[in-house]
Amino acid sequence: MTATAPELRVEGLEAGYYAGQSVLRGVDLRAAPGKLTVILGPNGAGKSTALRVLAGLLPPAAGRVLVDGHDITRVPAHGRARLGIAFLPQGRSVFAALTVHQNLELGGWILRRRRQDLDRALEAAYERYPKLRPLRDRPAGSLSGGQQRLVEIARMMIADPRLILIDEPSAGLAPNLTEEVYEELARLRVEGRTVLLVDQNVRAAVEVADYVFTLESGRNHLEGDRERFERELGALIRAWLRV
Amino acid sequence: MRPALEPAGALGRLGQDLVRLRRRVWAPVGALVLAGLVALGLVSDDLALLDSLGVIFMYVVLTQAWNVLGGYGGYMNFGMAAFFGVGAYTTAVIGHSWPVSPVLATAAAGLASGLFALVVGIPTLRLRGAYFAIATLIVTFAVELVALNAPFTQGSLGIYLKVLPLSPLQTEQLFYFVFLGLMLAATVIVFLIERSHFGWALVAVREDENAAEVLGVRTTRVKILALLLGAVMAGIVGGIYSYRVLYIEPAGTFAIDTSLNVVLMAVLGGAGFWQGPLIGAPVVMAVGDVLRVAVASEVNRLIFGAILVAVALFAPNGVMGFLRGVRGRRFTI
Amino acid sequence: MLSLLLQAAVDGILLGLIYTIMALGLSLILGVLGVINVAHSVFIMLGSFFALGLLTLLHLDPAVSFVLSVPVFFLAGAAVYRLLIQRVQRAPATIGILVLFGLMVVVETAGILLWTTDTRVITVGYSNLRLSAGPVTVNGARLVAGGLSLLATAAAYWFLKRTLTGRAVVAMADNRDAASVLGMDVDRLSMLIFGLGIAAAGAGGVAIGMTFPFAPQDHIQWLAWAFLIVIVGGLGRVESTLLGGLVIGLVQTLAGVLLPFSWVFLLMYLLLLVLLIVRGQGLAGARRREL
Repeated sequence: MTATAPELRVEGLEAGYYAGQSVLRGVDLRAAPGKLTVILGPNGAGKSTALRVLAGLLPPAAGRVLVDGHDITRVPAHGRARLGIAFLPQGRSVFAALTVHQNLELGGWILRRRRQDLDRALEAAYERYPKLRPLRDRPAGSLSGGQQRLVEIARMMIADPRLILIDEPSAGLAPNLTEEVYEELARLRVEGRTVLLVDQNVRAAVEVADYVFTLESGRNHLEGDRERFERELGALIRAWLRV
Repeated sequence: MRPALEPAGALGRLGQDLVRLRRRVWAPVGALVLAGLVALGLVSDDLALLDSLGVIFMYVVLTQAWNVLGGYGGYMNFGMAAFFGVGAYTTAVIGHSWPVSPVLATAAAGLASGLFALVVGIPTLRLRGAYFAIATLIVTFAVELVALNAPFTQGSLGIYLKVLPLSPLQTEQLFYFVFLGLMLAATVIVFLIERSHFGWALVAVREDENAAEVLGVRTTRVKILALLLGAVMAGIVGGIYSYRVLYIEPAGTFAIDTSLNVVLMAVLGGAGFWQGPLIGAPVVMAVGDVLRVAVASEVNRLIFGAILVAVALFAPNGVMGFLRGVRGRRFTI
Repeated sequence: MLSLLLQAAVDGILLGLIYTIMALGLSLILGVLGVINVAHSVFIMLGSFFALGLLTLLHLDPAVSFVLSVPVFFLAGAAVYRLLIQRVQRAPATIGILVLFGLMVVVETAGILLWTTDTRVITVGYSNLRLSAGPVTVNGARLVAGGLSLLATAAAYWFLKRTLTGRAVVAMADNRDAASVLGMDVDRLSMLIFGLGIAAAGAGGVAIGMTFPFAPQDHIQWLAWAFLIVIVGGLGRVESTLLGGLVIGLVQTLAGVLLPFSWVFLLMYLLLLVLLIVRGQGLAGARRREL
């Protein structure tokens, strides 16, 4: 926990999936070190696309991604893990055919040449998420949705990332599990990691946020700290539902 | 379904402009070329020229036949030689054994190739993806095995057909005009398909088969129909081909060259455009004519294979792609 | 009759082992990368000629060539991946198939130019050796080829199941994005698996060359057999391919006891058609992006 959390900045990001069809049309974002920043917006605003670009899965058409001032725009996805950046994608992403333990092991892929560190990290993960210990040798694909989410989070944490990108962590989960996920998010913040969160669950997200950005149609819309958004939340949600 | 396939935004406007331009250009150019070809066929006594052009026309038909499923539907058929060969063997076996009119025998060739398409298509086209491609390679090999071993094909000895009672020039002219007519017919058919619901359904299969299915396209039926149509065309061409060469044997009839040429012509000209085969076939045949003087037929095939790799890597939309300025998702499963 | 069947079973199992390594690359490349390698069988053909060449030039036993073929064909496969496949990974799947079809034509034709269309056989000291155990007689070459194939298959199984890199390959096959954000270089892993697939094809070609006559233009038969095995066994897993290989080896030899030779081939092709109809949906569901 001694390593300092990085600052993430995004400048003039433009990206899309097909030539000539931009989803992001010039987006600026900043995730302050050690803070939890939330991106909100109606469906199709480009939130998930922005996270995919930040994770290195989608090359941007224009713009820069900076971590502590270093330009990482051209660093491939697998290279970003080494920089302490983690990404929790939307939907199911456990490796279904592998056991829980094997999933966690692969979370430590970048530690694979330091077996002792990897073993220590794995043990720490079971300490941190004790519910996983009895599931250790179960195929991840056979677990419930909530358990799979826990595996995904634990797998992401093996490498002890300092900058965490999370896409819709509570989508498709039962309310009590959503609560658990949000407790985990709060813990990440307390631990001083930089977190950038995208979620449809606007109220819960704003509640844990330090700072909030909103996107609309691939452009910046509003931004501000939590207090401001808590006041305007009702109006905002109503406006988006009409979109 | 119709609006979903309309290109959107600026790309769409550009497309419409090009469509307008194309309408203005293609119709007169096409009519002019056609008139020239008819005149040439009537006045020329250059047997070699008529022969070369006849082969080009024949390949245009085969490439259009490939284009229906391969170009619009995105399902790669690497076994056009099999459909062509089934047609060729049908007329050869019939013509060799019974005094049947060549027209009837050719119709039978189309029918036989169509039936063969159902046998190949029903198991493989129910599947997504590239299983069909690998299956087409395998059936070509399997059909050649049958031709080598079946009792009615005379194995590797091959089959001779009776010479038609015509002078050499008359013979050349006959096949010249028959293939010219077929080329015209095949091109019109594909042109109409491009503008039909059937054609749109095929393109939908190519662009996103899952989405097409959700939208209500009966993808399996559409794919099988497209293969069937192409197979009948190829079977008719093959049937006429054996009357033209008067001798067929398994290795030559089912040679991979035919399949390779067709794919190369389609991709080079522009797969999924009705004009593609009209561009690709003459270009590839011209290159082939130059090579034939210079190198052995195997080297020729090797070069064509390498050209196919290069075209697929660097210009997957072919000449038509350049003319239309198409980029991105043109060619997909 | 019983001893005849026992004999056929032993022959079938050995043949099945050879078929397994011959088909393994097709299954792995399709299952893990979603690429249907229509050029698979030309590498089998090259493997057979690799063994023949080393035998005639250096008097190397095909068993040695089998081992040597693994690194040689691995490098060839990795090069093919880097030069051709990686370029079209983001492009629509049809482009990759066209490239591989072109490659198949080029390699096959180069083979014909180098070695003509003549049919060859590999003959070594134990090629015609007949080893008897009770009622069963085993051909020496087939025993060696089958044994080596079993070893190679076991090595592939061990790699995918017991090593972290192997599990990373499985992970990548499941979810490419999730694997890459955990730090796995999916391009390198893909190159690795393509290289291994081609290495298996080359080694399979050596084993095939020890057992059957071969010629450059006849490789499609092995494509058909490999495809059949993949359909019988299923995709991407070594044990599935082993199952498929053994089933096909046994069916072929047992059918050979009951039917004349040319009918066996017809039967196998019919089996392919029927299986495509019956098992088709399972295959289609195996991967989201089929190529």
